Amino acid sequence: MIIAFLMLLVFGAVRMRFEADLEAERKALYFHGAKFNLSLEERIGQMAFVAALSGFRGPIADGLWIYAHVLWEDVQWGRMKVAMDGATELQPRCIVFWENAGWHMAYNASVAAMEDKTQPRLALRVKAQHEYWRMGEDYFLRGIQNNPDSATLYTRLGSFYKEKLEDHAKAAWAYGEGAKLPNAPVFLHRFAAYQIAKIPGREREAYDLLKQYYLNGEDEQLPTLLTELGKLQEKLKIPPEQKIAIPSAPHP
Amino acid sequence: MATPAISIQNVTKVYPIPFKREKVTAVKDLSLTVEPGQVYGLLGPNGSGKSTTMKIVLGLVSPTSGTTEIFGRDSTAVASREEVGFLPENPYFYKYLTGEETLNFYGKLCGLSRARIRERSKELLKLVGLESAADRRLGGYSKGMLQRIGLAQAMIQEPRLLVLDEPTAGVDPAGSREIRDLILDFKTRGITVLLCSHLLEQVQEICDRIGILHRGAMIREGKLEDLISIQSQTELILENATPALLAEIQAMIAASPAKIVEQRKPQKTLERYFLDVTTDQP
Amino acid sequence: MTATATAPAPSTRHQIFSFTRVTAIASNTLLELVRLKVFYFLLIFGFIVIGISFFTSKMTFQEQHQALKSASLGAMSIFTWLLAVLATAMLLPKDIEDRTLYTILAKPVPRFEYLLGKFVGVLLLLFIALSLMSMLFLAVLYFAEQGAIEQTIRTTPPQDLPAALDQVHRSTFNSDLLPGIVVIYFKSALCAALTLLISTFASSSIFTVIVSVIAALIGHIQPIAREAYLSSGNAGPLAKAFFALVALAMPDLRALDLADDVIAGNVIPMLLFLKTIGLGSTYIGVYFLVGYFMFAGKEL
Repeated sequence: MIIAFLMLLVFGAVRMRFEADLEAERKALYFHGAKFNLSLEERIGQMAFVAALSGFRGPIADGLWIYAHVLWEDVQWGRMKVAMDGATELQPRCIVFWENAGWHMAYNASVAAMEDKTQPRLALRVKAQHEYWRMGEDYFLRGIQNNPDSATLYTRLGSFYKEKLEDHAKAAWAYGEGAKLPNAPVFLHRFAAYQIAKIPGREREAYDLLKQYYLNGEDEQLPTLLTELGKLQEKLKIPPEQKIAIPSAPHP
Repeated sequence: MATPAISIQNVTKVYPIPFKREKVTAVKDLSLTVEPGQVYGLLGPNGSGKSTTMKIVLGLVSPTSGTTEIFGRDSTAVASREEVGFLPENPYFYKYLTGEETLNFYGKLCGLSRARIRERSKELLKLVGLESAADRRLGGYSKGMLQRIGLAQAMIQEPRLLVLDEPTAGVDPAGSREIRDLILDFKTRGITVLLCSHLLEQVQEICDRIGILHRGAMIREGKLEDLISIQSQTELILENATPALLAEIQAMIAASPAKIVEQRKPQKTLERYFLDVTTDQP
Repeated sequence: MTATATAPAPSTRHQIFSFTRVTAIASNTLLELVRLKVFYFLLIFGFIVIGISFFTSKMTFQEQHQALKSASLGAMSIFTWLLAVLATAMLLPKDIEDRTLYTILAKPVPRFEYLLGKFVGVLLLLFIALSLMSMLFLAVLYFAEQGAIEQTIRTTPPQDLPAALDQVHRSTFNSDLLPGIVVIYFKSALCAALTLLISTFASSSIFTVIVSVIAALIGHIQPIAREAYLSSGNAGPLAKAFFALVALAMPDLRALDLADDVIAGNVIPMLLFLKTIGLGSTYIGVYFLVGYFMFAGKEL
């Protein structure tokens, strides 16, 4: 039996490099070239689930998702998070789960926390709100780790930074990363530039980007871009001969 | 001189016990020879090494030391089993196969052609008296029928040697008699038989030579009649002897150094009596 | 009583390897296995899951037809794996207990052919089970596609219809369904070979099943151990030794899983497919040979 075990170990040594290369090849195919960057603990957790439930994780994840929405109706945020954690764990490649889990925490739960009439102390309501923001952000970020090829999640993350945290640097980063992906919405690179424009000291950078987009053609010469370009030209005191002519809005 | 059917030379088989230093010696320096055409009875109490010896002969187990040959070929070689047919104790064949399909399966394992398998199956089913049950699944066979189909599969490739382990165990007297008659029939065809059985009366009826194993070693071996006959006594069975003749014989014996140990009417065996009364009268 | 004649020597010449012997054992094994109740239970459960997925896929939040494919391919994978383990685990112990092993090996049948015949019988069983489940899956997928086509025709403007219909076709019958199913077969065959190896030294069927299931579970996380071992991380020597042992001794079952790619609609390159089944075939061959090595020395 010892000899048989040694034979298996030798076979293991021979195939190890081949399998590592094959895995890299499969990941490149699956993630469309994007880098997959989960920690060891996260991957053990996923693989254990995968091993345990194998092909049934899809239907079970759907079941948990439905349950999460039942809990939403009952305004049970804590239990809802547990159900959403299960669904995302089982189906880490389902964008909808991450996107909506993040939205529920970052938007719905955080607003509910601020309006919680059972909590008279404002400080504690704000603390809860920030806690839900952090959970929402965590969903978006873990969703991106599992789906580094998803422009949707980068878009939602950028919107979260913009609308909730008003962190324009982070929003610009998120939009910018999403814009690099092959399936990115056409507006995302402009959104990144709009956020850069709001960061003190980076107005010039934003102006250069928006000017370049303007010069790309009519498809990019949209009202928001023109408005932002005009504001930046004023702010940066661009010499008249270098300014881009911004058409004025028609009178109603 | 003909090559022995079985030649066991100084065979020892030692089994290690897992996780312990001591070992079990199942067979100890065993030597025996079975000549072609003999019916050899291998006897011994449980744990004496009979099964191990049989498995070594069949090549299912390798001896720790010593050699075993079947018609001059090393028994560990797969090719040597072309010459051997084996019926294990309480065999269990595939229930879902019919008698004919079972013989077909084993015939293919022996490398026989389809035509030859068909021919042999017909012959053997007739020989063992299972022609009418050939299309019935083995799940519906009685114990005696299973033993007989077992004998048929053992014979499928016309082996020169048959190894039978308790061929009549659990079989009723009629079935048992039929199996013994078959073994005697094999003997007249020149097939060598190695027989293991606890039913000593049956062994006595059919075996030419016996070997008795005890704790892995051969303690007695030889021709049956030589081993069990009481040398100092003579049996004389008379039919239609008159009282006067008997008196004369008794007087002669009284005048000689010999003495009468017992005088009685010979008896049928209980088995003979049972068969006589249970067999349908014409 | 002495013999009046000696029996003639046999007319067959022993063949070192015989396909006839192997196929006789394989077809007999298949006949035996299709009578197992567990075969029918697993098949029926597989059918139920695939059938139900047609209805549950309408309630999903996942992409169109992804849930259907996910559940069906998952059912096919898990049920053929279970069948592989359960059917293989009882092969040797049953023959030994019934002594049919002795009647077979007492014939001029090398142990290699006996084991090969048994294994081929299991492979045939897996092929039949997977083929039946695949036919149902493709039928369910076809009906789902027809439903999606009708809905698309109803709701899509005429100028966008060709593109929309094309999208429906691509989300259902993509060309990589068949390679995905083939890889499922190889994965279950690998598990059967591993189970056969374990059964050559195991003391009972239950032990074989338990060890095979554990090995399969570890096989799904083997890539992590391999990565941890190969990377220049700061794990201690004991941890590294543990990772090495798992990476070397356990099969990489994730390598034989293209279901995620099939479900996501990715085109699987032919070279990747060939490498995957090549790896699977190598696993099967090595496990079988190591199993034979164990069986050849087994005291019966």
